Amino acid sequence: MMIQLFHVSKYYDRRPALSNVSLEIEKGEFVVLMGASGAGKSTLLKLLIAAERPDEGQILVQGRNVAKLRPSEIPYLRRKLGIVFQDFRLLPKKTVFENVALPLMVQGTAGFEIRRKVTEALKAVGVDHKREQFPRSLSAGEQQRACIARAIVNGPIILLADEPTGNLDPELASEIIELFKLINARGTTVMVATHDPQVMAQVNRRIVTLMEGKLVADQRLGA
Amino acid sequence: MRRGLYLLREAFANVRINRTTTVVAVATTAFTLACVGVFLLLYVNLRTVAGSLQEDIRVMVYLDDGLAEETLSEIEQRLKVDRAVASLTYVSKERALAEFQAQFPSESHLLEGLGQNPLPASFEITLAPQFRSSDSVKRWAERIQTLPGVAQVEYSRDLIEALARIIRHIELAAIAAGVILSAASVTIIANTIRLTLYTRRDEIEILRLIGATRAFIRIPYLLEGAFLGGLGSALSLAILKAGFEFVQHQVASTGRFLESWLSFFPVHLCLLLVLAGVLLGFAGSFVSLSRFGETRS
Repeated sequence: MMIQLFHVSKYYDRRPALSNVSLEIEKGEFVVLMGASGAGKSTLLKLLIAAERPDEGQILVQGRNVAKLRPSEIPYLRRKLGIVFQDFRLLPKKTVFENVALPLMVQGTAGFEIRRKVTEALKAVGVDHKREQFPRSLSAGEQQRACIARAIVNGPIILLADEPTGNLDPELASEIIELFKLINARGTTVMVATHDPQVMAQVNRRIVTLMEGKLVADQRLGA
Repeated sequence: MRRGLYLLREAFANVRINRTTTVVAVATTAFTLACVGVFLLLYVNLRTVAGSLQEDIRVMVYLDDGLAEETLSEIEQRLKVDRAVASLTYVSKERALAEFQAQFPSESHLLEGLGQNPLPASFEITLAPQFRSSDSVKRWAERIQTLPGVAQVEYSRDLIEALARIIRHIELAAIAAGVILSAASVTIIANTIRLTLYTRRDEIEILRLIGATRAFIRIPYLLEGAFLGGLGSALSLAILKAGFEFVQHQVASTGRFLESWLSFFPVHLCLLLVLAGVLLGFAGSFVSLSRFGETRS
């Protein structure tokens, strides 16, 4: 099992952001986490990357209890995960190549290996021709592709995306979802948090629905 | 290697991003450290002056009149083997009289009226450098005073004690100024780093999320602080050197002998001061990183 949540609750100012959520995700699954704004999707992702700790329950990622990780162990968990943000979060003063190389740089990967892996990731998402440009000169779709390249350059076991199509028009959003499907097809577990029904329809796999912090539906659609 | 270069590049990027703040921080740190340096320079020079004066200090051991030959040689022997004695010269009664007459020819008739030589025989002693402090001279004189045949031990006590007092005060002032102004430097650098941290907070957040360790995130900021501190310290030395040259020139123009005693910090002390600046800057960054909550994951 890749991800396991057992009766997880998280409160902010005594108000539950997540309430008694239990969930199991297997290796290689593509899960769409649906829910309106404030349903608890982002909180769940934050718990998975250990940016927050649950107030109740346990979270296991590849069998390791995330809630009990020491602060010094957290970076090593995050190196196994790829994260895609709605607002891309690319560093404006670094080129696309440098942005994508960052996760490898923090791990001390050798220079030639960085060049090889970054080129591979940029080609996979289709922005290799923009490698020497700065993020501000890229379109929103290209920036999101660069963000995805940064998330997959490490060869993560899980790809987590928080509203990845929120800033994109429907056509670009569709392209990004196809990219996720491609990454998933190569064996990476993918979890996309969104409120966009287009994403759900396009993915057509497992849909987990959150409402006011509670897991209200877990449907498996067509393969 | 690549990671090291990356961290170094990031540190200099920080300096570049906040250019104005960096200049202000380096200049303020330089002036603050220069204030500490003034006390330190004063202290170093006064110690040199004191050392030179102490070299000239002679201790006179006056002997009783009519000492037997063996008692005299016994005292001489005791003094020769004493670790505190660097050199000694025996001045007989006759020689003392001759020297007095040579030094004060117009007053020599005063002694002639007495009929006999009233001047005592003595040993003129130069003490070893490690026994020239005020306390050491005092202790040594008290010990020698008790030897049979020794009438009196005299030395320029007031001068030695006054010098020791002044040096002690300057030392205390240097320490107090050092502590207070170093704390000020740490605060100045800490604030500069805090500004950089604030400017780059999004970047820090991203680094955290992609698995950067605490050390990886902190190192560029610690290097930046160390660079600011080192640069500030080097600049303070330049300010001090300019000030020192000016004072030396002024002293030289008055024709006083003091000029030959004045000296700037030796090279090893300059390097030590730059290193102290580096450490202060490092401490400033550390304070900022802790307050910024970089300890969070």
